[in-house]
Amino acid sequence: MILGIETSCDETAAAVITDDGHVLASVVSSQADLHSRYGGVVPEIASRRHLDLVAPVVREALDSAGASLDGVSKVAVTQGPGLVGALLVGVSAAKAIAWARQLPLVPVDHLEGHVASLYLEPDPLEPPFVCLLVSGGHTLLLAVRERGSSERLGTTLDDAAGEAFDKGARLLGLRYPGGAEIDRIAQDGDPSAFPFPVARVPGLDFSFSGLKTALLYAVRDLGVEETERRRADLAASYQAAIVRALARRIDEAASATGLDGVAVVGGVAANSNLRAALPDVRFAPLDLCTDNAAMIASAARYVEALPYPGYLGLDAYPSFS
Amino acid sequence: MLVLAFDTATDVATSALLRDGGVLGERISVPRTLLEDLDALLRDVDAEPADVDALVVGTGPGSFTSTRIGLAVTRGLGLALDIPAAGVSTLDALAAARADVFPVIDARRREVFVLGPRAVEPDALELAPGAFCVGSGAVRYRPTLERMGAHVPPDDDELHVPHARFHASLARAFGPADAIQPIYVRAPDAKVSRSPA
Ligand SMILES: [Zn+2]
Repeated sequence: MILGIETSCDETAAAVITDDGHVLASVVSSQADLHSRYGGVVPEIASRRHLDLVAPVVREALDSAGASLDGVSKVAVTQGPGLVGALLVGVSAAKAIAWARQLPLVPVDHLEGHVASLYLEPDPLEPPFVCLLVSGGHTLLLAVRERGSSERLGTTLDDAAGEAFDKGARLLGLRYPGGAEIDRIAQDGDPSAFPFPVARVPGLDFSFSGLKTALLYAVRDLGVEETERRRADLAASYQAAIVRALARRIDEAASATGLDGVAVVGGVAANSNLRAALPDVRFAPLDLCTDNAAMIASAARYVEALPYPGYLGLDAYPSFS
Repeated sequence: MLVLAFDTATDVATSALLRDGGVLGERISVPRTLLEDLDALLRDVDAEPADVDALVVGTGPGSFTSTRIGLAVTRGLGLALDIPAAGVSTLDALAAARADVFPVIDARRREVFVLGPRAVEPDALELAPGAFCVGSGAVRYRPTLERMGAHVPPDDDELHVPHARFHASLARAFGPADAIQPIYVRAPDAKVSRSPA
């Protein structure tokens, strides 16, 4: 069995999976409520919370898997990218657990973790495929030709798609995290009510800052009362523009690479409008879209483990390596 | 009884291995390589992590991130080895090195941590004449402290660095590792980051 630990942002998570990719337990303790009044993740608050939760979450994962550390053959942990103070809580705890039991440790890249959410049973996806990773921090198009590695095709030039959702939600007076709120409210709105633009940038990159500005102007022009009254239309139109931008790039990436399979992972992959707009695309399981440790343990199956004592000095990396 | 003690709250990581109060070994390095030190301490006496009976950890105050490294290691070890742990303030451990020392830890942002614990500007410290100031804050604010009549030993004096053997000697209440809380002193900065979720 593989024990996975993830603390890169605002979810403290631990999971136990079998060596062949069956999830025995996946525990995620979300801090979203803690951060909502700030409208985003506060790194120091997140790190303090991770310290409180890391051991209880690991214990709960082992308990609900009906397992103990005796049955664990390696420990996997998110090494980066993420908030460095948050990452260090998970990395330090994982190193300590591995060292105490003289187990190998597998440092996992968070982004490869998201991709590896597609490799878990009962319905694992086989490369090659084009993968769109969309979350609060990332908007990446990847070519995945084999498990455990990927080639970057495009990324966002400014805001991540999830960040665009969050910022849009704030302009509409909705709660953080904004993606789920916009998704919910947009159900009652007309996606063609407002002609929000989709930025045209070269290659396979993305840009969402212009869209956010367009919403800002729309809200300003409408005024407080009218914005309130047409909030569903604004949310639906704004969401539709983001979905359009993502869908178009997925198509272009598929043609550019000649890869048939397409998959979408990350927090924004839970968006119901995006799922509906892309019926032929493979989406990560709903419970594995937002950050979790099952995907980290899954990725560890395709990364070389560091045997004891090679990992004792292992450090976290905050941004892209 | 084999006790592993360590503190990562300041720029240095101090660690010590003790058997029934006697120091078997002591190491100084940096917080992120703490586990290399713990491993070396045990290897030096042909012991394994599973032989350790209890943990003692420094709880700060100091750098938030580096204090948490020691605490997270403690929680990981407490869970994996099922052994009890005790927390000892880094200020107390500094003060235990010699009689009548006044520990001063650099708190950044032009402040220092002193017993209380509290964060104050060095200028605002109320020091007895001839107070013997030690710690990273004493080194950093030497001119200020000396102007106030304090004595600060040379920068390379051992007294400026916490030593885990003192943490071990001060440890009293052993219990679940999860119950030990860091001493932050300051509330978190409410600065929002881009979410990398
Ligand atoms: Zn993520």
